[in-house]
Amino acid sequence: MSDKVSSLIDITERAGCADDAWGDFRGFERITLELKQRYHYSLGRQSRFFIELENRRFFATACASCGRVYAPPRPLCPACLQPTTWRELSGEGSLETWSALHFSPGTNADVAALQTPYVLAYALLDGASTLFPHLLRAEGESLRQGMRLRVAYNEGPVSHPIHLMHFAPA
Amino acid sequence: MPSVPVVAAVGCTEIASERRDCNARDLLTDALLDLLADAGMDGLGAVEHGLASYESDHFNMQMTLGAILHDTIGMTPKPSLRVEGGGATGALALRTAWAHIQSGLCDSVLVYGVEKNGRGVSSQTANQLFALSADVDWETAIGGTYTSFYAAMMRAHMAQYGTREEHFAHVAARNRANAAFNPIAQKPMDISIDDVLRSRPVADPYKLLDCSLLSDGAACLLLASEAWAREHVPTFRTRPPVFFTGTGCGTDTMRLGDRHPHITNFRAKQQAAQAAYAMAGIRDPLREIDVAELYDSYSGVEIQAVEDLGWVGRGEGGKTVAAGAFDLDGILPVNPSGGLLGRGAPVGATGILQAIEVTQQLWGLVDERRQVPGAKRGLADTHAGIASISVVNIFERRD
Ligand SMILES: [Zn+2]
Repeated sequence: MSDKVSSLIDITERAGCADDAWGDFRGFERITLELKQRYHYSLGRQSRFFIELENRRFFATACASCGRVYAPPRPLCPACLQPTTWRELSGEGSLETWSALHFSPGTNADVAALQTPYVLAYALLDGASTLFPHLLRAEGESLRQGMRLRVAYNEGPVSHPIHLMHFAPA
Repeated sequence: MPSVPVVAAVGCTEIASERRDCNARDLLTDALLDLLADAGMDGLGAVEHGLASYESDHFNMQMTLGAILHDTIGMTPKPSLRVEGGGATGALALRTAWAHIQSGLCDSVLVYGVEKNGRGVSSQTANQLFALSADVDWETAIGGTYTSFYAAMMRAHMAQYGTREEHFAHVAARNRANAAFNPIAQKPMDISIDDVLRSRPVADPYKLLDCSLLSDGAACLLLASEAWAREHVPTFRTRPPVFFTGTGCGTDTMRLGDRHPHITNFRAKQQAAQAAYAMAGIRDPLREIDVAELYDSYSGVEIQAVEDLGWVGRGEGGKTVAAGAFDLDGILPVNPSGGLLGRGAPVGATGILQAIEVTQQLWGLVDERRQVPGAKRGLADTHAGIASISVVNIFERRD
């Protein structure tokens, strides 16, 4: 369906030209186009993280050289340029910072299904060196920095396997 | 013989929420004609190189737009290049043009930026498209938006330093008030701090009036060696020359969480500023810079920026900003143009618009109600994402 907007309104003040150099081009037309794309999208070397979510297990990666533990996982330690190895974490941690979104971008079906406001939380998981971002479902609880959280697992099907988990109060 | 480049001429469109009457080519056309009038030139025959600046192929539903723009303004068969770096695109384009001239590759580069970010797509689609410039597997897929990433940073800043919502509401009100003195501004507003605090929440602690604008607009800047400008730009001799004396760039991780435990401020901006200051010979930026355009994508970002640019101590940004230090009558006026909050933010043109405001301030040619008297040196700060790429460009008038 195209939502066609045609106009021949006077736009003299827009052109900003006293001598009206654009007089021949006053009319304009705006049409609606749609572009839908489907991607066969590889999760690459991050894949095991998402596969293990189906098994209700949470994995990070660890660098044997510098000891940093990456959650979200990085296959390559950017500090050492060494391949990392998978390491299971307990999935418990603490809330570092967050924002409650009152406007949803509706990025995918799982996001579109969220009631606003929903909370984007950054958690420092026990044993990790980085903060992991995810949705925090803590209806009715007042949030505070340092509060204990845990990874909670969801049943599929989901639009993106990251939605096989969320954060909940521990 | 390489030399510090000069801003030979500038041009832009009005910035608007939507220009239904113009596509990207038309906007660039208007900005270019404005530049030719500013330069007193009747064509681009002498200009050696084109440099296109736009962020999104998605917003335009057109790839290779840079080649189309170059063609539209008759620059073929001269060399061309497209630069892209998210929100920092326009500033990176200027930095790239700087390097082209400093290297001796050419003596003149026309940098042209354009974006149709306004209402070409719905605001939900715009948020989805901008979210694609975050990490799609870990941030975009869970419903994160840039507003929420910035908001989470600001919450951490508030928790660590006691920064308050009133502090960043001051920026939201002041920049929109400054915009009233800028004829190209998209949305000047006469609002109080209470109006900002009472506006509807978007991603707390940020509210609607803390957020910058989606815009349609275009801007051009002709960068050249001084000798080239003297020879080819008739108006160049009529104005004090403005040199592009410093440029710095820094980067940081894409995801905020990977910056733990440093999530209150922009490391990339600190690095960009130090590099630019060193190049421009600035030791005490608060005293040596007279006017600045800072990247106020959200009101609180200006508070973080004045800390990262080294103008105030870490954590002192909030109360210093709220005390009026960076108002038009303050010690270092910031965003006299209205910034991204009041003038508007057509992404690929934004960094160029910032440089234009700084240059015109140094020329002494803006509306006297926003003119910083006697300004000799100005700074433009621009970044992408949550400052995953940050650029600081410095301009200096040398009479
Ligand atoms: Zn390592």
